[in-house]
Amino acid sequence: MAEPTPAAPTFKLVLVGDGGTGKTTFVKRHLTGEFEKKYIATLGVEVHPLAFTTNFGQIIFNTWDTAGQEKFGGLRDGYYINGQCGIIMFDLTSRITYKNVPNWHRDLVRVCENIPIVLCGNKVDIKERKVKPKAIDFHRKKSLQYYDISAKSNYNFEKPFLWLARKLAGHQDLEFVASPALAPAEVQVDVGLMAQYNEELSSAAQMPLPEEDDDL
Amino acid sequence: MSDNHENVAVEEEAEVHFEPIVKLEAVQVKTHEEDETPIFKMRAKLFRFVKESNEWKERGTGEARLMQHKETKKIRLLMRRDQTHKICANHYVTSDMTLTPNVGSDRSWVWNVTSDSSDDCAGAQTLAIRFANSDNAALFKEAFESAQKNNADLKVKPTEDKKEEKVVEETKSEEKEETKSEEKKEETKAEEKEEKKEESA
Repeated sequence: MAEPTPAAPTFKLVLVGDGGTGKTTFVKRHLTGEFEKKYIATLGVEVHPLAFTTNFGQIIFNTWDTAGQEKFGGLRDGYYINGQCGIIMFDLTSRITYKNVPNWHRDLVRVCENIPIVLCGNKVDIKERKVKPKAIDFHRKKSLQYYDISAKSNYNFEKPFLWLARKLAGHQDLEFVASPALAPAEVQVDVGLMAQYNEELSSAAQMPLPEEDDDL
Repeated sequence: MSDNHENVAVEEEAEVHFEPIVKLEAVQVKTHEEDETPIFKMRAKLFRFVKESNEWKERGTGEARLMQHKETKKIRLLMRRDQTHKICANHYVTSDMTLTPNVGSDRSWVWNVTSDSSDDCAGAQTLAIRFANSDNAALFKEAFESAQKNNADLKVKPTEDKKEEKVVEETKSEEKEETKSEEKKEETKAEEKEEKKEESA
């Protein structure tokens, strides 16, 4: 299991960008695999440890998922302090979110000088792309890494963390590898609990799975 | 995406250098799959049921694999997400599980796990798995149920105990042989002594 070992190096990652660009959905996708469609604006900041197993051992990004909406932002500099790497996210279907990227970048580097930063254009799965690849050049001026990503289709969704990990560790050959799959636990369940589980199973079986275009 | 290249950014590596902030050595990560034989694999999408909100949430897309341990012969279901290789399902295939169809789908199964040992969301779970088509779903069911039988048979006939009994028997007979040979040695020694006596005489 990805139980963070005490020795695992931990990096503070600051995740910023306009509200609704998909920062929290992106973090949840990495945490549990789920894809959250509902928009619930993040208040202040939520910190999640995201663990990855690499060919250089386990590493953890303590991810500071910040409020994109100004009215929920609060004291931002406090969130940025001691940030060791960053992700700036915008929405490829919303030009205004790309226009605001320089502001997020300015705020971030004012507190965190010279840290590796990845710029991510999210929602590349949506057909009506508004911010064309040719229009994206901010990263060249500021030496940021850029990726088109999709938290929905998982396109490039591991790349931002991989690039940051390589820079922070100074190993261009760092890769994500299979984590140890320990022998599963064996649990004896009493009859009463088993009956309860079976009841839950039949109600779950009546609930349709989210119907998406699978890439299976 | 792939059918519209103009619409997707070409990947470029930023020309920038940072001083590394940690010093890490390359390591060989043991996956514990080294001791196992994959007996079935099929691409699938896994879900878990969240009671509180009464909805299915995705757990990951990747290969659903049935892995048999080389020594214990026990079979587990192991599934890792594409790209990050994190574990989204890891449990023994036991006979208390029933693959149940999901309403309106001919390519999915729902079942209960009393204890899932995945990277997150571990513990008791109601899981669902969806395949590309009903044929793949049927193949999975067949393999899953034969794994259930395999694991149940292991419990009925615990091979471990049998082995131990055999070992005990073997050591007993070995002991006997040893005592025999020791007796022989003593005999030969005695004979040698007698011979020496005769020579000296």
